[in-house]
Amino acid sequence: MTRVHPLPTAEGPYPPTEEMLNAPVPEAEQERGAKELRAAWKTPEGWRYVTAVNNSEVGKWYSLTALAFMLIAGLLALAMRVQLAFPGMTFLDADRFNQFFTMHGSAMMFLFAVPMFEAISILILPAFLGARDMPFPRLSAYGYWCFLIGGIFVLGSLLFDAGPKAGWFMYPPLATKDEGIGPDIWLLGLSFIEVASIAAAVELIVGALKCRPPGMRVNIMPLYAWYVLVVGGMILFAFPPLIAGDFLFELERSFDWPFFDPTRGGDPILWQHLFWIFGHPEVYIVFLPSIAIAAMIVPTVAQRPIVGYSWIVLSAVGTGFLSFGLWVHHMFTTGLPQMSLGFFSAASEAVVIPTGIQIFAFVATLMVGRVKLTLPMLWIAGALAIFVAGGLTGVMLAIVPFNWQVHDTYFIVAHLHYTLFGGMVFPVIAGVYYFYPFFTKKLMSEKLGLWAFWLIFSGFNITFLPMHLTGLMGMPRRVFTYPESSGWGWLNLISTLGAFIIAAGFAVFLYDLLRPKKAQGQIARNPWGAGTLEFSHDIPEEAWGARSVPHIISRYPLWDQPKLVERMDAGRYYLPDAPDHQRETIVTSVIDAKPVHVQRVTGPAWITILAAIFTGGAFIFPTFHIYTPAIICGAFAIVCVMYWLWTSTARPPKEEMREAGLGLRLPTYASGPQSVGWWGMWITMLGDVTAFASVVFGFFFYWTARADFPPEGAAHPVGLWVAVAALAGVAAWALTVAARETNARGQVALARLSLVLAPLAAGAAGVAAWAAVRDLDPTSHVYPAILWALMVWLVVHLAAGVLMQGYCLAGSVFGKLTPRYDADLRNVTLYWHFMAVKALVTAAVLGLAPGWLT
Amino acid sequence: MSDIRDQEDAHEFRVEALSLWRITFGPLIWALHFVASYGAAALVCAKASAGAVEALRIGIGVGTLLALALILWLAVRAWRQWDLRRDPEWENDKGTSEDRHQFLGHAAFLLSVISFIGVVYVALPALLIGSCA
Repeated sequence: MTRVHPLPTAEGPYPPTEEMLNAPVPEAEQERGAKELRAAWKTPEGWRYVTAVNNSEVGKWYSLTALAFMLIAGLLALAMRVQLAFPGMTFLDADRFNQFFTMHGSAMMFLFAVPMFEAISILILPAFLGARDMPFPRLSAYGYWCFLIGGIFVLGSLLFDAGPKAGWFMYPPLATKDEGIGPDIWLLGLSFIEVASIAAAVELIVGALKCRPPGMRVNIMPLYAWYVLVVGGMILFAFPPLIAGDFLFELERSFDWPFFDPTRGGDPILWQHLFWIFGHPEVYIVFLPSIAIAAMIVPTVAQRPIVGYSWIVLSAVGTGFLSFGLWVHHMFTTGLPQMSLGFFSAASEAVVIPTGIQIFAFVATLMVGRVKLTLPMLWIAGALAIFVAGGLTGVMLAIVPFNWQVHDTYFIVAHLHYTLFGGMVFPVIAGVYYFYPFFTKKLMSEKLGLWAFWLIFSGFNITFLPMHLTGLMGMPRRVFTYPESSGWGWLNLISTLGAFIIAAGFAVFLYDLLRPKKAQGQIARNPWGAGTLEFSHDIPEEAWGARSVPHIISRYPLWDQPKLVERMDAGRYYLPDAPDHQRETIVTSVIDAKPVHVQRVTGPAWITILAAIFTGGAFIFPTFHIYTPAIICGAFAIVCVMYWLWTSTARPPKEEMREAGLGLRLPTYASGPQSVGWWGMWITMLGDVTAFASVVFGFFFYWTARADFPPEGAAHPVGLWVAVAALAGVAAWALTVAARETNARGQVALARLSLVLAPLAAGAAGVAAWAAVRDLDPTSHVYPAILWALMVWLVVHLAAGVLMQGYCLAGSVFGKLTPRYDADLRNVTLYWHFMAVKALVTAAVLGLAPGWLT
Repeated sequence: MSDIRDQEDAHEFRVEALSLWRITFGPLIWALHFVASYGAAALVCAKASAGAVEALRIGIGVGTLLALALILWLAVRAWRQWDLRRDPEWENDKGTSEDRHQFLGHAAFLLSVISFIGVVYVALPALLIGSCA
């Protein structure tokens, strides 16, 4: 990549010496910096408050919304417990009971557990890293608004008696044959939220990799950041298969393409695979970030560094990988070959090792430290006790014969609630108590906290411990009532009583969380004596995140770097001012966190809310089989996103370099792998390719599972058109690369010509792909249907690629994209690298695979 | 005073750039071994005759030995990078290039161990179960 005018790189002294850090900052300088930062980071007031995008605001809304959804889902559970309290109750009828348990599970997973991780991480990750904000604040805000709209839509369906009722995993054929719109609400509403989850994952991964403070190398970053990296990566590989499954499922529901209909060659087991390839990692996606909170609390409580930092990293990464080898243990009774079941049983036992290691590391830290039993620690202790019990029943369930015995009984209900309460609910509540002073600059009540803990802890065990027995005695899941002769009545009554004790505990917790605490006065800045950066926060609150971004040389900087907070406050470190009143944060290198450049971050905007509303329309209208307004909404959503990108990202800077403090001068623009946008694209495409791979997996799955795939004498795609699609797709990619190269060399006219030809080639590829399968009837059999699905997938991605090429062309014409400032074009080229692979794979499946398979 | 443009660790940096990926190589081998074993078993059980199961088991055995050999090789490299015998310091918690280098070795070594165990576990069913049934 030869560039005529290379971009400047960082210059000046680094790392800072002790003398530099000791030099006082003049009073006037301190005041000027603080004033400028306050102006740049001002939170919008009045009704404009909703336009805020700062991580502290979005994170707060996100957490409170997830909490509200959790409480609603909890109320559904209470209603179910009332119905089950005695045999033959008529509190809920069977249909409503079905809606309630489906929604209880779906809401707890999709509207609470995963969003809560994202909410808390958006709220606290920048503080752990001494960063001003996340790298893409508007993306978090957009994700939040999508989540809010989607969540209200999905939960609201209950009010119209139209909720999904086929269980939280929506197994076909029950769910595909359902007459109502319940399954469509589930599929489209939750897909919409899954997209928001992936957006948050991209943001968090880039945040942890590129927005660490100078000096915070990978070996000293907070364990929370390690967990965020692992969990973000897991979301990227776990959610896309479900999105691909949703895509096939909705095509069947809306257009009668028979993916899961065995009479026309389909197979309901494919849905189970796609669902559980998502569903099992999902358990660890909610567990790991919660245990990450424990990894932050335990050292503070023990007042010493964590024991076995590397072991915990091993445990996080190892669990992240192994958890993908467990999905079939939800399918042990589907008649897969014994040997296949054995693989999954083995992997299910193996995952216990890394999971156990981190718990031993926590216990070791507590043993060698001087433990102060604080409220957060009490909740962590409760979490460990409950989780270990849930883990032990998990080991039992990983054994195939035992699993057959208790399949679909209340034993499973007990097991999964033990893992989720111990692995998620308790650690998160511990985190709320621990980080509350950071969120709100107030403390929660010790006395109410003890009440809440003992109510929830005892209530939990009273509810769920008997369920093991209820299950072993044979009570199946999801029944809305049972006869008196079953003998389960007394156990169910105990469980119901326990459920109300849990509810009382949550009421106490909620009251303590939300009650006004004006009388409390100002609290200490670091009330727990923690060692990590979040407790260098400003009291009273300031919106700027960190007054100046510190240079970090220790895992516990507040313990080991004595003058750190004083120097941060004085603005001694990096980015202590904002001369242009622009929001900025510092971007560093991935491994060693060397300063690379100063990144402008986006500020408050209405456009993100508009984009979310239109995206919502594009997902919600099809639920009711109304397609024209959906398409219009989709188009407007795209316009909104493009407007927001065009006006506020990767614009050529006024000044090329910025005095970043301590004599360091940093560039204000970055392109290619140096820039956060490139990382965002790269990580998004990993997720996208996973979804594509899942659809391709579907093709080969049918081939192994069905003797009639492809059916005898079936029509195949037209070879010539398939070849044209492949060639035109590759040409579009080559032209995009040519545009990047010629542009970098300053041959702007040639670059623009390439950017005119590239979309034409891409369009030709799309038309050819359509022409190849045009004559096949997707409703007749699963074989033409999956070929059509692949074609639709390809065409949609080509269309996105065309928009990106057009965006770059417009950028070049209107001076946003120049030979020197070409970040957009580099990101788009990266997209097209993936696009070329997808075009070739699609062509191979369409054109070559039928020949090999028959 | 050192300058940010000093590239004294440029060579080392290139090695390390691979290193953040390298710590995942062990688990990646586990994942490949897992997917290949599962895929092969699914294919053979669905499409091939009963006699092919023996070939499948031998194939999984060979694949397992290959995977274990690769993981061992990674573990030895990671052990050298960790350098515990010369520098018997476990925590590697200082903000220096040396500690970062050794930490990544340590993490990669531990991940190789867990991957080794994982591969052995996954191979056991092929060793113990003789049919698709």
